[in-house]
Amino acid sequence: MRNKVLIVDDMELNREILASILEKDYPIIEADSGKKAISIIQKQQDEIAIVLLDLIMPEVDGFAVLEVMRNQAWLKSIPVLVITAESKAGVESRCFEMGVSDFIKKPFDSAIVRNRVKNIVDLFGYRNHLEEKVEKQTETLKKQYKLLVMQAEKLKESNTNIIDILGTVVEGRNLESGEHIKRVKYFTRILAEQVMRDYPEYGLTQEKVDVIAAASALHDIGKISIPDNILLKPARLTKDEYEYMKSHTTRGCEILNNIQGVWDETYSKASYEICRHHHEKYDGNGYPDGLVGEQIPISAQLVSLADAYDALVSERVYKSAYSEDEAFHMIVSGECGVFNPKLLECFRKSKKKFEEENRLLKKKQQQGQESGS
Amino acid sequence: MTLKECYEQLQGDYHGTLARLCSEKLVEKFALKFLADDSYTNLEEFMEEGNYNEAFRAAHTLKGVSLNLGFTKLYEVSEALTEALRGGQEPQNEDLLKKVGEEYQRTVSVLQELQHG
Repeated sequence: MRNKVLIVDDMELNREILASILEKDYPIIEADSGKKAISIIQKQQDEIAIVLLDLIMPEVDGFAVLEVMRNQAWLKSIPVLVITAESKAGVESRCFEMGVSDFIKKPFDSAIVRNRVKNIVDLFGYRNHLEEKVEKQTETLKKQYKLLVMQAEKLKESNTNIIDILGTVVEGRNLESGEHIKRVKYFTRILAEQVMRDYPEYGLTQEKVDVIAAASALHDIGKISIPDNILLKPARLTKDEYEYMKSHTTRGCEILNNIQGVWDETYSKASYEICRHHHEKYDGNGYPDGLVGEQIPISAQLVSLADAYDALVSERVYKSAYSEDEAFHMIVSGECGVFNPKLLECFRKSKKKFEEENRLLKKKQQQGQESGS
Repeated sequence: MTLKECYEQLQGDYHGTLARLCSEKLVEKFALKFLADDSYTNLEEFMEEGNYNEAFRAAHTLKGVSLNLGFTKLYEVSEALTEALRGGQEPQNEDLLKKVGEEYQRTVSVLQELQHG
């Protein structure tokens, strides 16, 4: 328990007078030299509530004791009250500079000594208690934060799991899509990371990029409600059939609306934007809403470009694959619809990365087919 | 001799000291303890040795305790000596130590009277 008063004075009579004033309220320890005072404080740091310190002492004087107390950081938890007959100018302010709590000049009044000691001891007791409490609470907070991070990690995992499950449904329904979904996801990530670096105005962060890349898997989820005779038709669609096909965007949104609340809002919002708007065009000539320019959410713009690129470099039932260069020029020149110039700039910059990724994915796909057959 | 008479004889600050220490008993107890204090003997020895640093501390101690006990006269002369010794220098005025000695002896003899009733 921190309740002892250490009286440091080389003169016995002075120590006795102070002790007589304080002994009713506190256990008293006495030191007749600065050296003894330091060794006592060192041993009983946690028991001393206050040090009453004389300044003028042989060998280790009061200033030297203060110096040690300051260097050892004892002054933070143990207050010092200087009691002295020293009348030299500047001594009092020097003491305060060194961190003493109070300064009493002789002759002292016993009531004043008693009250100041009580005030300082109470104040420091409160402060020490508060610091202890804050320390404990910080410890608890740190633990809780760790737990929270772990839970957020889990939640993220379960959000991606939901996307993966829904993605698998799309795959199962639409034969071309298995690899397509993966590839669009990778291309979206490459492009998004470039935009994050070059165009901070879109407010992309690594976390948002992760969400967009994950949610890109659902861009065609609406296709599960398109009948086989249209979805899998090996010939060119009629005008009506094409119009119906276009509704996969809004149909996808209906599906997503039905599972709202099951997952994190950031994921459901990104998925919705991508699903609805990945066929919008920067000049307003897309569908379903004919949004223009930056009205189109950045998530949908990113997936739209990635989707177009993948459609060009991949073989489809109705077309063979374009070369990477051809695909690049068709997108940049606007043959597949108008894209955001900023995105095209990023696409140009990351052309090599797109191509590396494309080859890597194709190689994996081939290996997969070989081992599968 | 009462404590009050003792202080009157010493031309000390009886009322102030009583007010500060709150109890006549305590004042008397500590005043009498002053008889056993060796600050003055130390002071004399250090002065003789020419050890003015230690002499300064001894004079300072004497000044502090006489201030606290309300021995006004003794305080005044020891204060003067303390300042003359500050920084460990030799006092220019030799009278200062003599005055402290005289006042100390006078204080001690009055206190002894008090001690013996």
